[in-house]
Formats: sequence, C-alpha cells, structure tokens
Amino acid sequence: MASYDKTEIADLIDGSMPWPSTRAIMSAHKDDDRFDKYLSILQERVPWHHPILLPIGEHLYIVQSGENRIVKCDCGHEFGSYQDNWKNQALIRVRGDRESIAEIYPGRYTCDPEWMELREFICPGCVTLLEVEAAPPGFPIVFDFLPDLEGFYEDWLGKSLPQEA
Amino acid sequence: MTDTLLVDEDGRFAVGKASTTPQNESVGFLESAEDAAGYWDLTSQEAFEQLSVVLYSGTGMLNTLLSRTGRRVGLIVTRGMEDAILMGRGLQAWTDYSYPDRLHAVTHQAPEPLVPRHRIYGVTERIDQFGNVVAPVYEHEAEKAAEELVAQGVEAICVCCMFSYVDDTHERQITEIVQNVLNKRDVEVPIYRSSSVRPVIREQSRLNSVVIEAYAADVSREQLVGVEEATQSQGFRYGVQTVLSYGGLAGIRYPRLHETMISGPVGGILGAKYVGDIIGSDSVIVSDMGGTSFDISAITRGNIPIENEPTLARFKLNLPTISMESIGAGAGTIIKVDPLTKKVSLGPESAGSTPGPVAFDMGGTEPTVCDCDVIMGRLNPDYFLGGKVKLNVEAAKSVFKEKVADPLGVDVYEAAEGMANMLEMDAKESMRQMISARAVDPADYALMAYGGSGPLHMAEYSRGMGFKNILTFPFAAAFSAFGCTTADYLRRYSRSVQLTLPPNADAEHRNSVAEEINRIWEGLQEAATSEMGDEGHAPADVQLEMFAQMRYTGQLEDVEVPLAMQRITADSDLDLVIKEFDELYAAINGAVAQYREAGHSITELGIVAKVEKIKPKLVRETLQGETPLAEAFKGTRSMYYNREWHEAQLWEMDYLKPGNVVAGPAVVEHPATTLVIPAGDRVWVDEWTIVHYEHAEDSSESE
Ligand SMILES: [Zn+2]
Repeated sequence: MASYDKTEIADLIDGSMPWPSTRAIMSAHKDDDRFDKYLSILQERVPWHHPILLPIGEHLYIVQSGENRIVKCDCGHEFGSYQDNWKNQALIRVRGDRESIAEIYPGRYTCDPEWMELREFICPGCVTLLEVEAAPPGFPIVFDFLPDLEGFYEDWLGKSLPQEA
Repeated sequence: MTDTLLVDEDGRFAVGKASTTPQNESVGFLESAEDAAGYWDLTSQEAFEQLSVVLYSGTGMLNTLLSRTGRRVGLIVTRGMEDAILMGRGLQAWTDYSYPDRLHAVTHQAPEPLVPRHRIYGVTERIDQFGNVVAPVYEHEAEKAAEELVAQGVEAICVCCMFSYVDDTHERQITEIVQNVLNKRDVEVPIYRSSSVRPVIREQSRLNSVVIEAYAADVSREQLVGVEEATQSQGFRYGVQTVLSYGGLAGIRYPRLHETMISGPVGGILGAKYVGDIIGSDSVIVSDMGGTSFDISAITRGNIPIENEPTLARFKLNLPTISMESIGAGAGTIIKVDPLTKKVSLGPESAGSTPGPVAFDMGGTEPTVCDCDVIMGRLNPDYFLGGKVKLNVEAAKSVFKEKVADPLGVDVYEAAEGMANMLEMDAKESMRQMISARAVDPADYALMAYGGSGPLHMAEYSRGMGFKNILTFPFAAAFSAFGCTTADYLRRYSRSVQLTLPPNADAEHRNSVAEEINRIWEGLQEAATSEMGDEGHAPADVQLEMFAQMRYTGQLEDVEVPLAMQRITADSDLDLVIKEFDELYAAINGAVAQYREAGHSITELGIVAKVEKIKPKLVRETLQGETPLAEAFKGTRSMYYNREWHEAQLWEMDYLKPGNVVAGPAVVEHPATTLVIPAGDRVWVDEWTIVHYEHAEDSSESE
C-alpha cells in the first residue's frame, strides 16, 4: 500500500514536488495515511495549538477550540463556528464597477458589473486575501462548504474527532 | 549496461556486457566488446581486425532529449506560427499514459518545449499548399530575427516555413539571410531547414523533427565519432554504422541523425523477416516480451509495416518508422491491487532493471510478474543470467503474499499464476486486436516469440490463436540485436504531393500526373545517389525501389504501395500503379472495402535506396533423433502450472540439437531466457535450430 514521507507530502502541499513524482502519486492508489500526514504538517506550520480538524482553504482551518469547532486563520484570527459562514466575519471588498474590475480583468476581459461583481474576503487579523467569489449583484454571500465532520471522521477515517488537548 | 553482440558469418554469437560510460561511450563499448570477444578466446584487437561491419546505437541522444540538456536552439517560423511549438499536439500531453491516466485530464501535461518562446521569431512569408507565392519573405524581419538570435547566444538555428514541403524556396532564402548575418557577426552556428528533414505535410511533426535534430541528435555525433575512432584504433577497417528507425543502416556522418533515435524494436522485425525468408514464411506476427513491454507487429506477404508519424519522448515526428504496437506488459511489470476495490492492475509501470523485481534483491519493493515466475518455480533461481543474479525466492514470495495474495484472500501460488495469466491475456488481447484490425487470418501467419521473457510466457499468450506455426529461438533474448545485423544500407526519401487519378481522367490530366511523378522521383533519386555516394557506395550497387502513398480519394489514411517500376514510361504504367494499390488495399482491408469509383489519390512519392550488406547465415543441420543428448538434461524442478505442482524436466537450451523433441512439463533453460512447456504441450527443434512450439491437440482457449 502506497505511503509517502512527510517531506514528500510537504512538497505536495507547497507545489514544489517535480512533476514526474507528482504524477506518480496521482496515478497510484491513494496512500491511506495521507490525511494524517497532511494535517500534521499543517499543524506544525501554524503558531497556535488548537487541533486542526480539516483545512478548508489555503489559510483557513476548522479547529477544535475547547468545546467549540471554529474557523481559524493561519495568523490566529478566529471567525466563529464552522457552521456559520466565516465570510460574514471577514473584511469584504466588492469590485462592483468597471474601473475596479478592470484592475484585475483589463480590457475585453472585464465583465459587465450589472451582471457580475467580484467580492474579495480578507482576514481582519493579517489582511490576507482568503477567498474571492463572483456573483450577480444582490446575490447572498455564498456559503462554500459546510462539511459533515462526524461523518467524515467516523465513516471514512474510522476514528472519532480529536478533542481539545 | 552496454551490450555487445558479436556475430560470425554462421550466425553464431557471443554477448558481452560492461557498464555504460555516458561521458565517453566508447570506453564502455570497448570493454563490452572485449568481454564478448573473450567468449571466443579472441582479444578485442583480433576481433575488430576481422570484423566487416560494426553497428552502434547508443542512448545518448535520447537521454539528451529526455533530460533537456540539448543545445540552445533558436527558431524562425512563418509569422503567426510562433506558438506552434508551445501548443504542440494535444496527444503529446498523454500519449504514453495508462488508460486510466488518459481519462483523467488532471494528469495530462504537455512535454516541456525544447525551444523557449523568447528564442522563436516569426518572419512574414507565405507559399500556399499549391506552391504559389502568396507573400514574399520580408527580408528585414529575417535579418532582425537572426541578429537577435545571435545576441541571445544560440548554438543552432532551425528554420521552418509552413508549406516548405511543397516549395522550400522561402526556407532557403531565410537560411541564406541568417547565414549572412552569422558571417557578418563572425559566429559559427549550424542552420537546419525543416524541408531537408523530410519534405512532407503536417508542420507540427516536421517542426519537432527539425528541432530534435538540432537540439539532441546532431550534438551527439561526437560520441559516435568517438566510438568509430575507438574501433579503428583496435584495427577495424571500415566506418561504424548506426540503425535507422525504418530498418536501414547509415554511417555516423549521416546528416539526419534523429532518424536513429527510434531503433529499439527495429531489429526484431528485421530478424523476423530474415528468418521468415529463409524458412519460407513471408507472413509473420512478431512478439517481443522483455522486461518492460510487449511489442508486436505483423509482416504481411513480406511487407514490413511503416508508421509515418511516430512518437518519440512524447513528440510527434515526421519520421518513417517500422511500426510496432507496444503495451506495458513485460516481466518487470508491477502488479498493484487497489486497496478499496481489490481490482488488480498490471503496469504500465515497470520495475525495470534497477531496482528490478523483488527477487533480484536489488532494492525492488513492488511485486512484478517476474516474481510470480520465480514463486511458481518457472525461473531457475540459480541460473538467472547464467547464475550472475541469484533470485531470492523467499523475498519474492513474502512481498507478493503481503501486497497481492493476502489483500485478494487467495493462495500465493494461485495468485501468482493468476497474475502471469493476466499478463498473458493482455499480450494475447493486443495481438487479437491487431489481427482483427487488419482482418488477417492467423492461419496464414507464423508467430515468432522472442525477447528475454517471450519464451517464458509464449505457451499461454499464443494458445488457441490458430497461428500456422509458433517459433522461438535459442537466442530469443538477443533476437533484436541479431536482427540489426541482418539490415542493409538503406535510405528512404519521400515528398508530399497532391495528385489525383479520377476514374474518368482524360489523357492530358493523366499525362501531367505521370510527368509530376517522374519529376519527383528523379529529384529523390539524385539525393539518394549523392548521399549513398558520400558514404562510399558505388552507384552500381545502389538498388532503387519506388513507392507511393495512396488512398481512395476522400479517405484519410494512406497505404504505402511498393512499385517495381523506376519511372512512368507509358500511360499503362499508371494503371499498374493503381492495380498495385487496389491489390494491396484488398489484402489489408478485404476486397469488399475497395472503393474504386472514388478514384485514387497519391499523397506522397518516395524511393528506397538499398545497398546489400554481408549478413550472418543461419546454419542448416541434419536432423538427429528425437531424444536430446544426455548432457542436455539438467534434472527436475517443481513447477506450478494450471493450479497444480508438476515435476518439470529441465533442459539446457544450447545442447538441444535439430530433430530433438521436448515434451512438457519441462523447462528449457538458457542463460538469457527460459522456455516453459506445460504438460501436454511440446517443442521440437528444426534443421535451422529454430524451436517450434506445439500446443496439446485439444488445446482450447483457457478463457
Ligand atoms: Zn489571518
């Protein structure tokens, strides 16, 4: 059964693995300890100690904080319960006119702001751009991802959710 | 490793081995040659002094290409085509992938371009597909491109114009401008024109070919020159030859060296043709099972199939190549069991020779089909490569049990046989597909099985296929190398044309077609005689055979029609060309597939120029009794076959004599290959020492 070194998984996360090795991993059967190694690498890289339950973006994690499961940024900023949309707690920049959209999509790439706007979600703690969504003006903020944590851990990983240490 | 195969005029051979020396290939080559000569008690000097021909093919060019360590190439193309090299062909992103990976686009990746975009310049010009000048060459653009390429310090410049296969005037004009700039700046950089690679349609393949010639092939010539100097220092009196992808030999100063880059499977099919001619079998299916792949091809009525756009290192080339179909099924093929679904898959990954199968004890950790053969007692653990590699049966068994048998919940031996059978079924299926795609009747064909693992699995992969006869060779492992020694000095020259012969064409049209055919053939003939002359062949020794790529008008695929005529001397010759095509087309596709009402198109005209070379002879001996010599018998070994253990008789291949018969269960061993004969089947040795395999009478499909 395939299994990879922690350094290999770290290279995968960073996108620094050479393509032939990356493809060999893609073509092989999934290594069954991938998730654990992945999580432990992420855990080592953040400056805080709440156990990561699931990464949900490039900088965001669902973590166990005491009794609660909350969304947390690398920088430590907390967005509240994972069952609520973290975007509601973020700083939001809306590109809703031609000029600001053209900064990103110049010339003929610019969309019609009557039909679509770009919303940028920024961390109040570290000012990192966490997510961008494109939606028609007036459309509610999109809730990307509400995972079934219990189902994932118990049925797929075959273990119970970690608790606060 | 560098292998040297020393062949004498009677076809006897000795194999020498030495480590490859990539910095200077001639060192490893001489060492392995010395090793081979040692088997005949000759010094290397004595061997080289007696040799008439030395063939050398190295992997230097391919490695240069794969490792992207070739020259800094600059490229000038028709303006508007600058991105062609970056776009490539879609299939280049997945062409050597397994079926699941082909389906999953996330694994697709275009090969890294050999020329970066900033060294590609467009020049305004256009000659259309009929040869009309639509736009002249904008000379100032060509000059500027050349200046900038010089400033960028390029080591080679390629020129590729869109329709240069019709008319190369603009390519020549640009080349001249570039050369003037080079002269003015006093730099020496070789220039390569796409039309001189091979003037045929499809610019991506032509572009790839010319760039690979400049990038990887020509630059490796030094190694070949080094090898030639080394042989001559040992007393060899002639020039060293290399093997072209379509089965000819060329001296190492041959101008289009990239044509030697696909020479792997060439030898086997040449050998099969040679042996087929001797034993009177002009239709042969060849099957070569080695460590990593199973290669097959079919010689039909003496014709060797040619593929015109092969893939090399995931680049499409416009290089005629002996056509072989290949699947990733060899002894080193890795066996995987999906942990979730328990689905078994074989390859296409292979353990290769390093680390090799688990049984080699050289660090291999993944079970392979070779390990199964070891577990089942089909391979002799003490006689692999003549005993040079001790096979670790226990290691093979424990890894195979852990990774395959246990996850499947099956007995180790049963699982091992199942895996070997899967490999054999894959091999059989690929032959069956080829046979049905070409609508050939296996009863008209002899099957030749070779490669190190061919004889090991041929009993099952040929069972029930209905071939006329099934042959293998004592030297099965060296058959491809042997085949190369049967090659002649041979060149192919061809040119794209657009000629049609409608059924109701008038005399004037037919006359113009005839004139055009003669004009093209004459041009090619000139090139052929001059290039063959450069290699020291007398014009009188050069035999020419013309060919035409033809189709029924409107079709998408061509058939290559060999023609006995040297030129069209009368209108009736055109009818003869058509007749040859119709007959060949019917032989390949069946008479019902003919469509003469559509008329005929000629898409390419070519010639094959050949000078005969000295070849090893197969020795014909008188048949002896059915019972092999006593010293051929090596004892017995337990062998698992058809889910039972058998006490197999062991025989030494080299001691079997013409006329001998060996009945299964038996294993015939040779240092480089192993022939397995299950109970009920038998082999006999003919007067040429060719081994004939015969299945049991009631042998039916085991599916
Ligand atoms: Zn933050």
